[in-house]
Amino acid sequence: MIRIGIPRALLYYQYYPMWKTFFEELGAEVVVSPPTTQVMLASGSSRVVADTCLPVKVFLGHILALVGKCDYIFVPAIRSVESKVYNCSKFLGLPDLTRAVIPESPPILDIDIDINKGKRNLYQAIYQLGRHLTWYPLRVRRASQAAWQAHLNYHQLMSSRNLTPPQVIERISGTAEAEANSSYLISAQATIAIIGHPYLLYDEHVNHRLIHRLEQAHNRVLTPEMLSTEELQSAIARLVGRAYWTYEEEVVGAGAHYLQSGADGVIGIIAFGCGPDSVMMDVVRQQASRLKATPFMSLTLEEHTAEAGIVTRLEAFLDMIHRRKRSQVKTCV
Amino acid sequence: MRIGIPHMGNLYIPVKALFERLNIDYVIPPVNSQRTLSLGVKHSPEGLCIPFKLTLGNLIEAAELGADTLLMAGGYGICRLGYYAKIQEQIIRDLGYNCEMVQLGVSEQKLFGLLKVIKRLSNYAPWSRIISAFRFGLAKLNALDKIERVVQKVRPIERIKGKANWLFAKAIKAIDKADDYATLKRVQTDYIDQLNQVTKDNQAQPLIVGITGEFYVVLEPFSNLDVESELGKLGVEVRRMTFISEWTKFSLFLNPLGMNEKDRIHKAALPYLKRDIGGDGWESVGEKVLHAKEYDGLVHLAPFTCMPEITAQNIMPSTKENIPVLTILCDEQIAKAGVLTRLEAFVDLLECRRRKCNNK
Repeated sequence: MIRIGIPRALLYYQYYPMWKTFFEELGAEVVVSPPTTQVMLASGSSRVVADTCLPVKVFLGHILALVGKCDYIFVPAIRSVESKVYNCSKFLGLPDLTRAVIPESPPILDIDIDINKGKRNLYQAIYQLGRHLTWYPLRVRRASQAAWQAHLNYHQLMSSRNLTPPQVIERISGTAEAEANSSYLISAQATIAIIGHPYLLYDEHVNHRLIHRLEQAHNRVLTPEMLSTEELQSAIARLVGRAYWTYEEEVVGAGAHYLQSGADGVIGIIAFGCGPDSVMMDVVRQQASRLKATPFMSLTLEEHTAEAGIVTRLEAFLDMIHRRKRSQVKTCV
Repeated sequence: MRIGIPHMGNLYIPVKALFERLNIDYVIPPVNSQRTLSLGVKHSPEGLCIPFKLTLGNLIEAAELGADTLLMAGGYGICRLGYYAKIQEQIIRDLGYNCEMVQLGVSEQKLFGLLKVIKRLSNYAPWSRIISAFRFGLAKLNALDKIERVVQKVRPIERIKGKANWLFAKAIKAIDKADDYATLKRVQTDYIDQLNQVTKDNQAQPLIVGITGEFYVVLEPFSNLDVESELGKLGVEVRRMTFISEWTKFSLFLNPLGMNEKDRIHKAALPYLKRDIGGDGWESVGEKVLHAKEYDGLVHLAPFTCMPEITAQNIMPSTKENIPVLTILCDEQIAKAGVLTRLEAFVDLLECRRRKCNNK
């Protein structure tokens, strides 16, 4: 059986169930790299120039972890998933970058996703990808339909049950039954929304177990995936008019939404040197200072980010929010 | 309505000519200076690149001089550039200037889109006047770039260092002053003659270094600390493909007709980078592959945090066509001494390499 490697980084958190279904329907076995470790990050960083952003270094670390464990590695080049909305160059050049800096990697399956080129082009791209596994166009078609269904279910599960991507992925693959979410919610001290790209929010090594820390301090955590597409899009429309970047919803959309309703505090997470985020997070920060309604903190992550630094800032932020809530309660009484 | 523009190399000269011929009220902000940079850095989000910060500084300085309509490049699908105008407008408004931002889509609006914007700015002047003014602007642009190409050739081999630069500065002033085609033509031939008559070391075989990278930092000497002149002083002949006149010629006139000068570069890059990654990343890789035989080395200029150029920088070392590449990242922290040291080391390396090749 052909084994296809999927790195647990970058777009994994958005599309994994879809990719997994697609390849399994075509009779391949999907191998996922293990969660990020310091060794993986260091090996990824050693391959590229220092200015490359953290998520890409993590991604390359995952590729290196997959070398020798699979026959192909799946690295898509996603240009746009909406008309006239574009993606960061690093996503576009990802397959070429991987090939250039990791020559020992197994052959890379790449697919160009560009909605602007029309439906026909997209279907052709999907078929080209399926060709590596089967000769029957109909089988590819069936697999892609099943994959799309899996994708929709995945997002529906997240927004309806307030789950994070790793929780849903665990559930889909049946490795864990984590349903402890609701028990402590009643006693939650505050609701904190974290916004940013999934590859930063859910990679526990990169963000030093941020969600876990927030939950341990008895806070309810909200993430961008818990909002519906309509909520995100209307928030973007209010703030910037029209999305420019492919993954703008999870930053600007979620930020604009949570700053106005539903959260006691918002934490924005960006990677150092991230091009799109430097712009998007600034839009959110400006909005926060204009509204003056919800406290906002932005955390910049890089490979030198020290755990103690994050913890200190987090504690200070939470203290401030808790004090703020108490004083609000007092004034009400 | 008073129009302000940001700087990019000598672009302000043709734009000025265009505005003057159409009787448009305009302000050209002072040339890039430490103050421009400080203003830009102070008011920009920290993670943004040097082109954003410098152009923001220019626009603020233009607003200080009373501009109320600001022209800025933009457009979808390039890189962060498409977002610039939106944020810059917000920042300038927050500073208390009531300015309107006019965005020029450099990728989607072709010639006609550009002319339409000019028509609106000129308060709907007749098309004949717009086109004649536009032609005159283009003529100035071409004259500037023609002289610059000669300067690039003379710089490394001139006997008295700095003579070519001195003549070039004078030529820029003369072109700026010229107000009809005849004067322009005379100025152009006059200065090219003068440059050719500069006493040169005709025995010298200067090293040839290509300059590639991101459009703005390649064209704006302030942002790259004038790498070209510095290389010239070290006796290196600089070649670059990026000229504003080339860009306008192709993207405004020839691309719509299906001719693309970049096809050749893209084809060369294909084995290593299969797709356009926005900005000038594809071209950077392509130029390395294409010119590996004719150049001794390549200086790759990129703004710090530039997404396309970082991707290109990572891919460049893996090409089979092997020439030394020196990547210089430009940001507000860049210092002359650091760049000079690196350039000197790079040139030394290229000389050794050439000697070795000759011995073989």
